[in-house]
Amino acid sequence: MVMSKFEHDLQQQLDSLSQEKQPQRDLWKGIELSLEADRKEVTESGFHGKHVALAASVALVAMVSWFTLKPFSPDSQDTLNGQTLVQALSNQHEQQMDALLVKFEGQPAVTQNWKQQLQELDSAANAIKAALEEDPDNTALLKMLQNVYQQQMMLVERVHAPKWQQI
Amino acid sequence: MIDAQASVVDASETFSQAKEKALIQAAQKGDKHAYHTLYELHVKRVYALCYRLTGDRALAEDATQEVFIQLWRKLTNFDGQSRFTTWLHSVTANVTVSYMRKQRGWFQRMFNIEDSAAEYEQAESSSAEVDLESYIVQLPERARMVFVLHAIEGYRHEEIADMLNMAVGTSKAQFHRAKQLMKEWMGYGDE
Repeated sequence: MVMSKFEHDLQQQLDSLSQEKQPQRDLWKGIELSLEADRKEVTESGFHGKHVALAASVALVAMVSWFTLKPFSPDSQDTLNGQTLVQALSNQHEQQMDALLVKFEGQPAVTQNWKQQLQELDSAANAIKAALEEDPDNTALLKMLQNVYQQQMMLVERVHAPKWQQI
Repeated sequence: MIDAQASVVDASETFSQAKEKALIQAAQKGDKHAYHTLYELHVKRVYALCYRLTGDRALAEDATQEVFIQLWRKLTNFDGQSRFTTWLHSVTANVTVSYMRKQRGWFQRMFNIEDSAAEYEQAESSSAEVDLESYIVQLPERARMVFVLHAIEGYRHEEIADMLNMAVGTSKAQFHRAKQLMKEWMGYGDE
């Protein structure tokens, strides 16, 4: 197909079109401010997230320690028994996980299979809880349950932290 | 002599690429100074594309800022498989199109306002003194975006249709329209 003069001239002008153009104002300051705001947001959310995990950890340790150290009084109706403690631990963990998942909702995860990993930890927690039904006052099992719950929270936090923050 | 010059050019190119790669890697790790240097290296290219797409200096400056803010967040996605400038142009085109949608009311601009006057307005001058750039920015919005993406950036009509949420036939028609308008403005008449 023969190119018309217009097509030919247009192509020549396109070929000589400059690839660069100077903006009239300094754009970096605005960009830098926005990046700084981003960084603060990430730091604060990381700080908040760490505090949620820390608070959960402190609460769990306090509950398990109290349970472990409390004087043995099997007949007292007021005494927290093993099953009640497991239930309390599980309820508290569920609330904290919900809060974390809501916080990270819509945020991209670093790994694709984190939900699968979470489910595997869930299965481990369920197995420990089943063992605790048989032996409700077993402190070693309680500590294992506490540990699994902490791992779940750490997993959710870790996979949602930006890559550069993990370096 | 020519071979020696070519070697110097090749070496310089290799050095620039290595420097750019180091800057990208540092910026990916959160080094803001490295990112600032990358910005300085590429801001004129990004702004040129933003200006041609938006047809407006102020909007292009805002869009350029948005590109570099988004780019900072997306930088970890760059895996080095393609040239950085190619990837940067793709990010710029997508972010600018999205920015224009948000800023000006996409539907209003695309379907109502743009056809009202632009087509009937004469460009600044029909002499050859007016460069191609000024004709481009005076094109109606859809025609301009399609023209810039196809003729300058080398996107296929299928890709443009996807990016601008229009039919492939519409993209081709808008490209034809852009050329017809420029042909008229440049004083070529019927050939």
